[in-house]
Amino acid sequence: MQFLSAAFIILWVISFALYYLAPKTRQWMILAVASGLFYVAGTGGIPIGILLTGAGAYACGLYLKRSLAAQKHALSDLADKEEKKAVKLGFERRRRRVQILYFVYSLGILLCTKYMVVILPFLRQMGMTTSRSDAFFERVVMPLGISFYTLTAIGYVVDVGREQCGAQENPVKLFLFLAYFPAITQGPFNRFAKLQGEFEREHVFDYERMLFGVQRFVWGAFKKLVIADRINLFVGNVFGSAQEGIPGSIYAAAVVLYMLQLYADFSGYMDMALGISETFDIALPENFKRPYFSKSVAEFWRRWHITLGTWFKDYVMFSFVMSGTGRKIGKAAKKRWPGFGKHVTGVIGTMLVWLLTGMWHGRTASYILWGVYYGIIMCVSLVLERQYGIWREKLHIKGGKCYSLFAVVRTCAIVFVADVLIRAESLSQAGEIYRAFFMDFRLKEGILGVTDWGLSRYGFLLLAAACLLWLAVSIWEERGKDVRRTLAACPMAVRWCCYYGVALVLLITGIYGGSYDTAAFLYQSF
Amino acid sequence: MEEKVLEILEEYCEEAISYTGDNMMEEGVIDSFTVINVVSELEDVFDIEIDAKYVVAENFRNKEAIIELVRQLTEE
Repeated sequence: MQFLSAAFIILWVISFALYYLAPKTRQWMILAVASGLFYVAGTGGIPIGILLTGAGAYACGLYLKRSLAAQKHALSDLADKEEKKAVKLGFERRRRRVQILYFVYSLGILLCTKYMVVILPFLRQMGMTTSRSDAFFERVVMPLGISFYTLTAIGYVVDVGREQCGAQENPVKLFLFLAYFPAITQGPFNRFAKLQGEFEREHVFDYERMLFGVQRFVWGAFKKLVIADRINLFVGNVFGSAQEGIPGSIYAAAVVLYMLQLYADFSGYMDMALGISETFDIALPENFKRPYFSKSVAEFWRRWHITLGTWFKDYVMFSFVMSGTGRKIGKAAKKRWPGFGKHVTGVIGTMLVWLLTGMWHGRTASYILWGVYYGIIMCVSLVLERQYGIWREKLHIKGGKCYSLFAVVRTCAIVFVADVLIRAESLSQAGEIYRAFFMDFRLKEGILGVTDWGLSRYGFLLLAAACLLWLAVSIWEERGKDVRRTLAACPMAVRWCCYYGVALVLLITGIYGGSYDTAAFLYQSF
Repeated sequence: MEEKVLEILEEYCEEAISYTGDNMMEEGVIDSFTVINVVSELEDVFDIEIDAKYVVAENFRNKEAIIELVRQLTEE
């Protein structure tokens, strides 16, 4: 079930009505049932993956809770400091073992599922599958949102162990946390302490909040249908073309448009997810903060898919650096290289995070390369940050508007190079594209032939108008203003003109039907 | 103790000294790399162990929060 489908809208409207009619202490149940229905409809089969991962997280959470309580009890009986330390260490070790066991278990399910697509054709070739086993894998082993709920569940287990939240004793409530339907497909990644608090709060119907939620959903649909799906007509044709000798200028246009498509598609989904959740008075974390306004790659990744970045930083990077191994490496490096040594664990942690981020996004070597590329850029920029400051001072660069614009363009250029890797159909096509940029750009031919790739002159004009509107809204938001509140303060006639205007634009200029599946979001495949 | 923490912060992240908000990590005033360096330096100077569970946005929201964290860990 997709957000942009009649079935989903019906589910949303019915659960919304029941949610505010239900007793305040039972509202979470409506969300749990709606999430269950959404999940089963989306998977089209038995949701065994999420049940296995969820059951493991539930059991692990309870074990950690009991172990922490037993530790407190045992420590309260002791007076000697050394003895206390030893007892605490014993409990900590046992908890860590259980947590590691859970990580292996849940990541094992994730990896088996993710790489089943690679393994299954191989098993088929060897004659090791039957039509029944194929059907089983298709229905059971490809669960919806597995990458999202697996990381969310791991985060929950770590947080319980770190005493940053209590363990959930109600398995249905834990299921709701993992499978909350606005977030299950592509995120944002939620933290248990925060989202659980939202579910347990009493929610009273508020007309303005409902209106704001719907507005945000429609804005997300606008970005998806009018911008992302329109761009796909061009980008899909260029990258999917078997034609040889495509000018570098056409490839350059396709990559720039792909950067916009990916952003419009993913942030459009997030607007829809956050808008739906807002109508239920459940606040989800923001996942985008206008990333293409960033002045550095580090800033770009603080503004793009924010909750994934925070997840990797909190649960991978800091866990590694503060672990026994991380500390040993850090101390040895500081001794060996007094200046650079202090950066070594940070560099290893950053590379580890980016390698895993690449693997999380895709199965191919292109994604690994993409991760390594970002890892190297992040490490170099962070290690040399102080040096950059000295250079800027020497060159009398004071960071005015011109420098800011240059920094934004530089960041976009770095992202541009990376996006070739993940959008090209293969590594060899990516190589051909890079070659064409430098050896075969043919600007004039590109300009004259740009409308031959699935997007007409009218299509480009429409796209430009939509992007300008998007840019205006983004600049408004970047200045700390809320577009919806600004609109709410306008006279009724202006407001309704805007509503009808956006609805008409969506209906007339959105890309619907045909051979292209409008409802499929790009990030769903990650 | 406060002075020492501020000295360390000044060495690794001058901006943190003048920062008056309460979300230093998310606002990008202090990046994860600098956090690692600051933590490592605090551990060496105060002979404490800062576990990963303490390295969260809440404890690094501003200089006062970092001072409070060090105070807590030195008293333990």
